Amino acid sequence: MSILLVGLNHKTAPVEVRERLAFTDEACAESLRVLVDGQVVREGLIVSTCNRVEVLAETSAPLAESFDRIKGFLSHSRRIGHDDFASHLYSHEEEQAVRHVFRVASSLDSMVVGEPQVLGQVRHAYSIALEAGTAGRILNRLVHHAFRTAKRVRSETGIAASAVSISYMAVELGRKIFGSLKGSMVLLVGAGEMAELSAQHLVNAGASHVLVTNRTHSTAEQLAAKFGGRAVAFSELSKHLAAADIVICSTGAEEYVITSEMARESLGARRNRPSFFIDISVPRNVDPRIGEINNLFVFDIDDLESVIASNIREREKEAERAELIIDSEVMQFQQALRALDIGPTIGALRQKMQEMARQELERHRHKLGPLTPEQEKAIESLLISTVNKISHPVMHRMRRSYDTGSEENIQAWREIFGLEE
Amino acid sequence: MKPLLLMTLAAYVVAAVHYVVAFMHKRRSSERVAFMSLAVGFALHTASIITDWVEDNHYPLFGLRETFSFLAWTLVVAYLLTLVLTRYRTLALGSFTLPLVSVLTFIAMIARDKAAGSSSQITTAGGGSWLFPVHTTLLLFAYAAFFVVFAASVMYLVQERELRNKTFSAFFHRLPSLMTVNDIATHAAGIGFTLLTLGVLTGMLWSTERDGRLWHNDPKEIFAGITWLLYLVLILYRSTANWRGRRAAWLGVIGFALVLCTFFGARLLGSYHVFGFWILDFGFWIGGATNLA
Repeated sequence: MSILLVGLNHKTAPVEVRERLAFTDEACAESLRVLVDGQVVREGLIVSTCNRVEVLAETSAPLAESFDRIKGFLSHSRRIGHDDFASHLYSHEEEQAVRHVFRVASSLDSMVVGEPQVLGQVRHAYSIALEAGTAGRILNRLVHHAFRTAKRVRSETGIAASAVSISYMAVELGRKIFGSLKGSMVLLVGAGEMAELSAQHLVNAGASHVLVTNRTHSTAEQLAAKFGGRAVAFSELSKHLAAADIVICSTGAEEYVITSEMARESLGARRNRPSFFIDISVPRNVDPRIGEINNLFVFDIDDLESVIASNIREREKEAERAELIIDSEVMQFQQALRALDIGPTIGALRQKMQEMARQELERHRHKLGPLTPEQEKAIESLLISTVNKISHPVMHRMRRSYDTGSEENIQAWREIFGLEE
Repeated sequence: MKPLLLMTLAAYVVAAVHYVVAFMHKRRSSERVAFMSLAVGFALHTASIITDWVEDNHYPLFGLRETFSFLAWTLVVAYLLTLVLTRYRTLALGSFTLPLVSVLTFIAMIARDKAAGSSSQITTAGGGSWLFPVHTTLLLFAYAAFFVVFAASVMYLVQERELRNKTFSAFFHRLPSLMTVNDIATHAAGIGFTLLTLGVLTGMLWSTERDGRLWHNDPKEIFAGITWLLYLVLILYRSTANWRGRRAAWLGVIGFALVLCTFFGARLLGSYHVFGFWILDFGFWIGGATNLA
């Protein structure tokens, strides 16, 4: 039993190679059934995203043969010459393969470390393998352990705590100021793409009301419809400012759209409830002096960029701590795997029974009188084959409980025969 | 040396260390240890206070040792209440509070009261009235509440500053949001102020009962008066919402400085009003080791 991983990612292969190897969902399920032949490859899973294509397999053949089989499979199923992609491949076995899967799921191997999407992609790949029936005992465990590890990494390190994109900064700042975004009001001034993306993140994070205003009212209406929000007239901006907890400004205006006076007035109407302005327009649309007012916060594009840069550095530091978690989880998984492995148990049982047979022969040998060496051999092999015959169904059942992944049963077998070290 | 208090101290120190580790490294396992040892420490501490009460046969809030022990206990109560009421995993507040609690418990352990041994003196001082222990208890709980206001205010100010300067430190992501600390400060200030008012009132009542005078112009009384006024201002401003945020947070910090003045400073200014009405051996940190020898 070995766990192998063969693949390439954004670090090892250019997009031209990655796109040629990428699998669609349908192709993925179909190819998995081809890959898993029950002889060499017993279980398989394919992770295919824009940044990586990886084949994870559990095999019974020797390593070199198994690797060749998987590489051949990739070349054949994607109809791409071996030489076109082989140099970009990495291949890992056993512990290294396990570590790689854990790191991918925990987003330590991602282009932007800590991005949460990759976990969803692994989850998706797993569900395809489940449907195709190619994820079995070992891969089930491996993938679930990877999910667990990813969860630990997320909750115990700050790897994903801080925003690393401008559109997500609004959520991070909102959480920092308001705690929860539930029930908060977002006002979009201008209907740019970045503003839309930010609003999308805010709504996903719980913001419940969206107001959109734009010089071209119809554009505002279209955007508002996307979020179930309301379009309001651009001329009434100052009136609506008081209701907004979060203001995202991105118009093409040459002057300040939100002036210091407007902000001051709205703060009075809000009874000093804090609010913040994200100004992603150049030239700036929000008067920077607003940031000097108590309870109001302004972030322009440069502020956002510098915070993001420091957040990325912070993530990299946290990633080092994440590696320690990965180390300990890999170790735990390897231990669990060994405990699950039935081979040593069966071996120990067989040896123990044969030992008993030999001991009994020894004990009663003197009663048998003189025997030729051939006769002695014959008696011994008779005893051993009897013992083997008797224990055969037991071992068969043991293998069965191994195949069904029933850890309790394996433990029970060990106890029955006193095989605990 | 009281073995119960020693065990309490040990549990608090373990909790303090694990709170700080959990806060710095976001480690769940440390958080669990921190909370468990806090619970154990609190139980032991409560037991220690009750034992004192039963053994010494007077309310366990006389003298330096008892006062410090009780103060530490009220801080833990205040922290636990914040935890329950806000339902926020206040790791930051814990790593703020527990080291202080540990220090206070430590002082309580090494402190010796010259006067506390003589129970006749205590009885005279306490005047036998139930008002006196109520007075001191209310005030200590008020101080604990003001400590929570202080801690929350500091967290507010640190974060507000970082938001304004747009430079986020590593701790930034681990502190509770501005709204959360603002709410904690507001509620704790309300509770603290109520307790302070009641504490001052019972003190006045007791004082009239004892010598017919409501006010002695004692430094401690004057400080308490100023503190009371300041928190009144803080609460009025917060409730009218004109002074939310930074300035309210500053008041929370200044208020706590006044509380410290009332608690410690008054003694140095020669108040007769120190931890009750009798003279304590305060020398272990002023006079040095002679008293311990």
